[in-house]
Amino acid sequence: MGQIAASPEIDFHSETYKDAYSRINAIVIEGEQEAYDNYIKLAELLPEEKDELIRLSKMESRHKKGFEACGRNLQVAPDIEFARKFFLQLHQNFQAGAAQGNVVTCLLIQSLIIECFAIAAYNIYIPVADDFARKITEGVVKDEYTHLNFGEVWLKAHFEESKAELAQANRQNLPIVWRMLNEVENDARVLAMEKEALVEDFMIAYGEALSNIGFTTRDIMRMSAYGLAAA
Amino acid sequence: MFGLIGHLTSLQHAQAVAKELGYPEYADQGLDFWCSAPPQIVDNITVTSITGQKIEGRYVESCFLPEMLANRRIKAAVRKILNAMAHAQKHGINITALGGFSSIIFEEFNLHESKQVRNIKLEFDRFTTGNTHTAYILCRQVEQASQKLGIELSKATVAVCGATGDIGSAVCRWLDARTDVAELLLIARNQERLQALQSELGRGKIMGLEEALPLADIIVWVASMPKGIEIDPTVLKQPCLLIDGGYPKNLATKIQHPGLYVLNGGIVEHSLDIDWKIMQIVSMDVPARQLFACFAESMLLEFEKLHTNFSWGRNQITVAKMEQIGKFSVKHGFLPLLLSH
Repeated sequence: MGQIAASPEIDFHSETYKDAYSRINAIVIEGEQEAYDNYIKLAELLPEEKDELIRLSKMESRHKKGFEACGRNLQVAPDIEFARKFFLQLHQNFQAGAAQGNVVTCLLIQSLIIECFAIAAYNIYIPVADDFARKITEGVVKDEYTHLNFGEVWLKAHFEESKAELAQANRQNLPIVWRMLNEVENDARVLAMEKEALVEDFMIAYGEALSNIGFTTRDIMRMSAYGLAAA
Repeated sequence: MFGLIGHLTSLQHAQAVAKELGYPEYADQGLDFWCSAPPQIVDNITVTSITGQKIEGRYVESCFLPEMLANRRIKAAVRKILNAMAHAQKHGINITALGGFSSIIFEEFNLHESKQVRNIKLEFDRFTTGNTHTAYILCRQVEQASQKLGIELSKATVAVCGATGDIGSAVCRWLDARTDVAELLLIARNQERLQALQSELGRGKIMGLEEALPLADIIVWVASMPKGIEIDPTVLKQPCLLIDGGYPKNLATKIQHPGLYVLNGGIVEHSLDIDWKIMQIVSMDVPARQLFACFAESMLLEFEKLHTNFSWGRNQITVAKMEQIGKFSVKHGFLPLLLSH
């Protein structure tokens, strides 16, 4: 069967790499910024969890600074405009959920979908990152698991009354994730991150989260693949 | 708790199973989708030993498909196996058998070097290839089925196809040490490994497949390949016992000829019904009782609370270890599958 083809050497300073990095790096920076904002918003919606949520928001803020340093290290200017558009739909759905007091929807978007997306992307990125970014990302991904855990614990405790809203929010938001992945597929490939591995890692992280919350394997297989075929 | 890492035999099979189980999201999808699909625990299993002891297990579907190898989606294939192993470990399974192509992929692509899977550090002593039990069962099938057919081992020539593999070499060791087989024919692609095996055994003739088959009273087929191979039954001896221990099973359905007896190799039958749903799907003749011997190895290790990678690495299987797993196999009520007539 032969050997796995060794990944070709990545030239972190090539124009092609830096061009793709300007968008991927921006997505990460903007993602951490929006995560910061979202946890502050969640702290308003869940006053009894305020201290913990503020603590999480501060971590996201630190992550953002770390990723900004990664861009500077490669002398890349992040394309923040691109990143804002990239997140726009999820951002709007979060805002709409928050305005209506739909905590469950907000937690699904931030604590499950965005955190799982981040975990998947960071785990796939780590083996192909430059040395500087690898160290930063390794630190960040450990934190993201604790953020995911916050959503899991809360939703598990409120599972029965949240179930229907989770399913609805999943239907509304998961197809957006697949579209987002398609949008960055080419840039990610330049960074040696394969889309099918990203999708798989996302589904693993998201499936585990749904399982921890209380969904059955049957629910998980349906929910985590929702809309993927159409994407 | 024991675990089994399994997979379906083709994309078509996978689509049909997904449909049957009611997963429309998976049913109509092509290979690309399966390349991204995560592992799932799809069955909880209870096995009762003839001693009365009961154990619990989990079936982990890796979502690997043989088409991934045929289409050179090697990275996807490797991810499936590592992710399934991480999934098993994360769910606290103490000993998990790598079924079907899982152990072959693990060996071929040196996955020992890939211990870190995301935030999980794989503990390889929680896994077993199950090859020791498979080799033991194949040997018992040779001994018992030949007797049934009136083939005397002391006069018989046994051809082992895939002789230098993990299972093939173990079968050769056993047949040499524990039986009075007259002649051993060693068939494999790699000449260097063949010569090493021959000098280890101190016997055996190295031969090409076409040259060896007409001489054999018994053929033990343990070569694994994504595509089957054509055998011309008219050149074989009559009677000839052909034990298909390869994966996937590809000989039994292909060759039919008078005087030729084809037996599914490396399959055990449990003395008591096993409580599981998954085996109805993986096309065994008697789904409640028949299973791959490699899967049964993880059950035996769980019964004996021997939570260790009993079968691991290439060509490490000794006759003593085969005897040890064989004792457990008999003790808990597993029998080698024999010819049905």
